[in-house]
Amino acid sequence: MELTLNEKKLLKEQTEYTGIHPQKFGLYIGMASMFMFFAALTSALLIKMGDFRVWQNFRLPVIFLYSTIVIIAVSVTMQASLISYRKAKFTLFRTLLFVSFLLACMFLLMQLQGWQILKQMGLPLAGNLSGSFIYLITSMHGLHIVGGLVITLVFLIFAIRSRKDPIYELRSIINPKRQLNLEMLVSYWHFIDAVWVYLYLFFYLNYR
Amino acid sequence: METSPSVEHGVHGHHDHVHGHAEHHHEETFLTKYVFSQDHKMISKQFLITGMFWGVVGGLLSILFRLQLGWPNETFPFLETFLGKWAEGGKISQDFYLALITMHGTILVFFVLTGGLSGTFANLLIPYQIGARDMASPFINMLSYWFFFTASVIMLLSFFIQTGPAAGGWTAYPPLNGMRNTAIDLGSGLGFDLWIAGMALFIIQALLAGLNYVTTVLNMRTKGMTMMKLPLTIWALLFTAIVGILSFPALLAGVVLLEFDRLLDTSFYLNNIIINGHLLGYKGGSPILFEHLFWFLGHPEVYIIILPAFGIVSEVLAVHSRKPIFGYKAMVISLLAILILSFIVWAHHMFVTGLNPNLGAIFTLFTLLIAIPSAIKVFNWIGTIWRGRIRLTSAALFAIGFVSMFISGGLTGIILGNSSIDIQLHDTMFVVAHFHIVMGIAAFFGMFAGVYHWFPRMYGRFMNETLGQIHFYVTLVGAYCIFFPMHFMTGLPRRYYSYGNFETFNNFNNLASFMSVVAIIVFLAQLLFVVNYFYSIFKGQKLEGEYANPWESNTLEWTAPVERMHGNWPGDIPTVYRWPYDYSTNGNDFNPQNIPLKPGEATH
Repeated sequence: MELTLNEKKLLKEQTEYTGIHPQKFGLYIGMASMFMFFAALTSALLIKMGDFRVWQNFRLPVIFLYSTIVIIAVSVTMQASLISYRKAKFTLFRTLLFVSFLLACMFLLMQLQGWQILKQMGLPLAGNLSGSFIYLITSMHGLHIVGGLVITLVFLIFAIRSRKDPIYELRSIINPKRQLNLEMLVSYWHFIDAVWVYLYLFFYLNYR
Repeated sequence: METSPSVEHGVHGHHDHVHGHAEHHHEETFLTKYVFSQDHKMISKQFLITGMFWGVVGGLLSILFRLQLGWPNETFPFLETFLGKWAEGGKISQDFYLALITMHGTILVFFVLTGGLSGTFANLLIPYQIGARDMASPFINMLSYWFFFTASVIMLLSFFIQTGPAAGGWTAYPPLNGMRNTAIDLGSGLGFDLWIAGMALFIIQALLAGLNYVTTVLNMRTKGMTMMKLPLTIWALLFTAIVGILSFPALLAGVVLLEFDRLLDTSFYLNNIIINGHLLGYKGGSPILFEHLFWFLGHPEVYIIILPAFGIVSEVLAVHSRKPIFGYKAMVISLLAILILSFIVWAHHMFVTGLNPNLGAIFTLFTLLIAIPSAIKVFNWIGTIWRGRIRLTSAALFAIGFVSMFISGGLTGIILGNSSIDIQLHDTMFVVAHFHIVMGIAAFFGMFAGVYHWFPRMYGRFMNETLGQIHFYVTLVGAYCIFFPMHFMTGLPRRYYSYGNFETFNNFNNLASFMSVVAIIVFLAQLLFVVNYFYSIFKGQKLEGEYANPWESNTLEWTAPVERMHGNWPGDIPTVYRWPYDYSTNGNDFNPQNIPLKPGEATH
């Protein structure tokens, strides 16, 4: 993983003050903002939950626990794919990226399944607020997952295309910009997975 | 993935010659130079001109409802010509009146004083004043303008649909706004859905722009530019961006819930609604929840509006009175204090919602605490111009006018912050007077000061000084004439279509007509500013020389050549050695930041 002199200089110049690449720094700030969004939604839930006249309590369907396990698996495979990229094991990298993509799709399907179960429990979207909040928050989180999937798909297409071109692969590994982008993608997945773990724990503690 | 020019620049080395990357940008077309530009200077002009367009629209709306308020019994046949069914017989309809005040508020608060103000000056000043070639991500910067533009188009479209634009107040409170129902279609139908769509895009714009500003200020400063050598404009714009990043998501959450209620029949904000004798199925929601989410942005929003003006005024006052800013550190700390306090005072907008009085007392306390940093700032501005050699240019006049407005409006804030008094004054013209003076007019004054001051930086020409002075005096006197009397219209509720029918308020009719006349005059003065702006772009007095520093200012933006270029500086980026407010020190009138210290010289 040798950087050319200029590229080293570039990274040094732009991280002089914070030690983080500016674009990564921007992503972290974006994460703060996204977290505020989910914090606002869960605060809204807390406020309404205090209203005992209208709150219909129920036990959270267990499928959300399974989806939590799946999303944690996504984080693990994403991280593993980044590590294999750094070690120039491109076949492993491609496979892991693809597995992550599939797992994340599976997570979304499980969330949809969770909606079905809620509906069968007599909690449709426009029913009691206790159910509506689950639909609302899972759908907003799901949108963030879809965003991540779209960008992952772009990476996947590039990765599969470069399969038969070792020179392209070599060039991409010495290109710090490409690695930076991948690191940012993985960070985003860790973040959005952590948000779901937070949301799951929040639901688990409040719906019982 | 975008390839950011900042990375390209870097590959040639931070201090490389600009020709290195000028090559990359040689083949600029009209489209990449003026429309989908990634250059922070062009984006800043795009924000300013879009903001000016909205300023004129928003002002025009206020003139329309002032016609109704000033002469409630008259008819104006020309209104029917232009507005059709909204002003049948030359009289503005009650529904349209509500739409006018709603859109006036939305446009001025968000599209002019947020998008137009911080969009313009953050884009123009951050790279110039910290010594960067451009933003951290010019691409995201461009994206943020086009989100703003799309939001603008959608908001503007809502004026031209059959059921009219949103009419439920700029605060968009449910339950009225929380459902789609033919009975309340006027102002709460499609127009309101467009309002929500426009606001959602606007919020995305604010978040994208904000994270870019923060990243740029913290990462892209030139050599020697430590945080305590930053001009106060940059401090203010940095804090503004942080406030926006942390508070806008709450509004987004609020409007998402609202749209769920409207489109998917959930009941987050609705409970037991009866329309035309029918009980609708909504159960369990509460509009108070929306108020919490709304004001968690809504209050920080006023600081998003006023903080950039603080920064601009601090800079302009120091430059034009040839004195160091008084209490630089205190200025930074008070900005920080305002940033923190802005997040824990939102419920002072909700004292009459049945808020627990003990909670009200806490919010009163925090609200009144804001008076301390605000007073420190006012004291320091006065300290800065005290015994200075003031050059009364248009920019300086507007900056001084800002201080005057901020004091007048701020004092009534202390009155309104007390829950016990606010319960009496809530939703009266007293509140209208307070916020128009302290964040409306004051923020506009800050913006005008900035435009007159940095116009030479933007276009290489001056704005016309005579027109500028006329603009200032008419606006200053006019604004006081419009808003000061509102303090004394005791108990008169705001948002009323007409108050002549109430015995108690009959005696205000002449005063209302007077305010309307002045409002029209002040509006014309703003048109004068617009004319001056566009005239000066082409015919204004040119700056002399290749490198001009027209106000003899210390900051880095004047070390760049008059001719604007991609990358800002033709050679190396200047290195910073000094504090930006070294005026009348070391035996010099001014000491630009990039001049190395000579033996025996000291900087702040």
